[in-house]
Amino acid sequence: MVHKPFLVAGICIALIGASLFSNGVYIQAKALLAQHLLQTAWQQTLQGGVKVKPWSWADTWPLARLRVPSQNIDMIILEGASGSSLAFAPGHLLGTASPGDQGVSLISAHRDTHFAFLRNVKIGDSINIQNSRDETSEYEIVSMEIKDASQVPIPVHTSNRSIMLVTCYPFDSLRAGGSLRYIVYAIEKNNGERSVHSGEV
Amino acid sequence: MNSYHGSDFSLDFLIGLLMSILSGIVVSFVLGLMVMFLPGISQAGEIENERVSEYVKKGDVSSGSVLLRTDKPGLYQQAPTLKTDVHMRVSGMLVRTRVVQRFKNPGNEWMEGLYVFPLPDKAAVDHLRMRIGDRVIEGKIKERQEAKKIYAKAKSEGRKASLVEQERPNIFTNSIANIGPGETISVEIEYQQTLHLDKDKFRLRFPMVVAPRYIPGKPVAVKEEVTQFSGSGWVHNTDQVKDASRITPPVSLGATGKINPVTLRVDLNAGFPIVSLQSSYHRINKEVQSASEMTVTLQDEQVPADRDFELVWQPDRGQIPRAALFSERKGNENYLMLMVMPPDPEQTQQQVLNREVIYVIDTSGSMGGTSIEQARRALDYAIKDLKQGDYFNIIQFNSYTSQLFDQSKPVESSYVNQALRYVKSLKASGGTEMATALHAALDHKDDKGLVRQVVFLTDGSIGNEDALFSIIKKNLADTRLFTVGIGSAPNSHFMHKAALYGRGSYTYIGKIQEVDEKMSALFRKIQMPVLSGLEVQWPDNIKVEMWPERLPDLYAGEPLMLTAKLPILKDNIVIKGKRSQQDWQFSMPLLTDHQSKGVSVLWARDKIAHLMDRLREGDSLDVIKKGVVDLALEHHLVSKYTSLVAVDVTPTRPITESLSSKALKVNLPAGWQKNKVFASLPQTATDSFWDMLMGFLLILLGCLLSLHFQRKNLHGA
Repeated sequence: MVHKPFLVAGICIALIGASLFSNGVYIQAKALLAQHLLQTAWQQTLQGGVKVKPWSWADTWPLARLRVPSQNIDMIILEGASGSSLAFAPGHLLGTASPGDQGVSLISAHRDTHFAFLRNVKIGDSINIQNSRDETSEYEIVSMEIKDASQVPIPVHTSNRSIMLVTCYPFDSLRAGGSLRYIVYAIEKNNGERSVHSGEV
Repeated sequence: MNSYHGSDFSLDFLIGLLMSILSGIVVSFVLGLMVMFLPGISQAGEIENERVSEYVKKGDVSSGSVLLRTDKPGLYQQAPTLKTDVHMRVSGMLVRTRVVQRFKNPGNEWMEGLYVFPLPDKAAVDHLRMRIGDRVIEGKIKERQEAKKIYAKAKSEGRKASLVEQERPNIFTNSIANIGPGETISVEIEYQQTLHLDKDKFRLRFPMVVAPRYIPGKPVAVKEEVTQFSGSGWVHNTDQVKDASRITPPVSLGATGKINPVTLRVDLNAGFPIVSLQSSYHRINKEVQSASEMTVTLQDEQVPADRDFELVWQPDRGQIPRAALFSERKGNENYLMLMVMPPDPEQTQQQVLNREVIYVIDTSGSMGGTSIEQARRALDYAIKDLKQGDYFNIIQFNSYTSQLFDQSKPVESSYVNQALRYVKSLKASGGTEMATALHAALDHKDDKGLVRQVVFLTDGSIGNEDALFSIIKKNLADTRLFTVGIGSAPNSHFMHKAALYGRGSYTYIGKIQEVDEKMSALFRKIQMPVLSGLEVQWPDNIKVEMWPERLPDLYAGEPLMLTAKLPILKDNIVIKGKRSQQDWQFSMPLLTDHQSKGVSVLWARDKIAHLMDRLREGDSLDVIKKGVVDLALEHHLVSKYTSLVAVDVTPTRPITESLSSKALKVNLPAGWQKNKVFASLPQTATDSFWDMLMGFLLILLGCLLSLHFQRKNLHGA
């Protein structure tokens, strides 16, 4: 007759637990659902739209489409790799080449949402990038490496068309944080010649 | 259950609350432990899958130390640290330099250190010495592969060894095996070079850091992780730069400040009274011994190895030597170095021809920071210097090449203003695809029939020099190409060779204050060559080997420099050429009163450069390689195909102890912006699974407590 507190405490703890749990689920769900919400904006981009915002308050826009056939992955990439854009989609790191362009294009995403699949990719797997001009280029994975982002410089000042898919490491770590990164490096299968662009001031 | 509503709960409630808090703490403690261990477990799993190329365990490393690949998983090691002492002795036109690199192993395991460092591009490296305590081990010159084998054998047997290899004429690698815990090994490297004389100034340059190079091309398949130094760079080898990983040493980007301190001392014997002496980029102390002799040291005692050192001095105007001959007798041969200063152009008023000038500016990421400011200022100066009747255009390149006008425009105010605005707007970012820019600059389809000149402003931070040289050679035609080396650590090999193939000249700009002086000197120069069609007449019936084989045109202020080998010294040498339509001739007796040590290696170095040029022009690799190896072995010279190796006799590392290899980090050159060259990566993980796990466990705990309540309730009832 005097044990009611256990019930109250139990319910309280369960409620806190439920809210934490749902927060975790929310992060996962947002990551999943956002990809569907981005489709409309991406289709408009392909029709010639420029910087089409997926929702009115967004500070980012769809930049390219990433496909990894071996992992059944098909995702829209957003411009910028800030925390707010990474919640919805993989983000292109500003300052690196645009996906599909000449140079190294660096794309990062959370290891527990969009880039969880990176742990399963293998050397030789194909990656397709479709850019906003509806041009598709095919890349091949040549290496997977773990680097300490605080110690080892990641070069962007190098190479012809290639992409780096970057996510945090280790994959199974429960908490966010840490400076280790898992870097999947892929190079374009057919390196095309580039012509000189002239005339613009 | 309902019957208990509203009844007393004071003491029991408190106890219950305490218990639930306690259990919460216990649960989070258990979870905390799990989190600490889980990553370790998962990492071990990854290693077993062999999908991980580098094994690291964060948390044991103090900031500033370097991650190290080791045989034992989960362990870190610090790379050796480096201190460099430079001692240069100048005597007339000749310079002998000793570079002492002290490698210290701060850790408690045996180490191999790998250090990529620059030397002047024309340095003739002919000596290596390794000091271990009081013992001195002299280095020997060997064919490169053989030297590698000797080094590898010594390394595996636990003996100390040092191997100096050449990656580019101005990039070298020093490998040092078996540095014991806490031990220091000194490696002394010596080289010979000549001073650079331009106008009436003597210049002595010492590069301190290999700047991050842009590596074009498609990465070649990555093989197994290698223990040898071939994959320690920050970039994979590519089809266009097959040794990319050997010329891209890891860069220190941490907040720990600059590394690799350098001390420097120059003993200067100019051979004539010095009126002025300055260091371009470092503060110095001067100690004057006589009018022509002084000792120069750094005021800061130590400086970080992050930019070129340059010393400039000037003799009295009347004292400028018109010609100088240095000779050395070795075996049955005499080696000569000749310097002739052509007469000043001011004496003959030349008619200035109208020109078409193409300015090419590098706007890649490596030009970010102070370099792009210097380049913009230089371009601004250059455009304002154009004369009525000239034509001009501007090409900029980074990952792409673009040009201001679709074809060259006349010097009219509207075009000039447009160009000045364009220059002001230039920003640096992206890659360095220089080939397309060179093709665009050397495209002659809209030839105006004027004297055509290309002024190329870049830091030369690229790894595919040879490919670019061949583009220049193939497409040059009647154009002349002038290079302007920008920034704190320009690629001297590129600047000199590109200007040589471009039949032009070069200059350096290392700070904004130098822009006007250097650019005005360059423009005075490029008005027209002072001397052309130069030929040398040696005494009859003497077999002479002279480098360069064909003498280049000389621009105002530039001396003629050549080296030669001949069996006897007698009679006169006669040099003939054209000087503004008129014949010019100079002769001097082939006699010197004293021997100058080091002239023979300068000659051999010139010949190696000539052979390497022929390789670029398509001569057979086997023939050239044999020629270079024979010559380098004879003169004890490091080349692309020969290396210096010094090996200790007795082993010091017990075979039971393992050895780990580490490439030494280098500084980012002064004035560079790291985010223009290297990416800073965002945080890419959420707490979603943690939240879910914690949430789940808390729900579980809540349920257990409720159940507990129910049981108590049942018992109580």
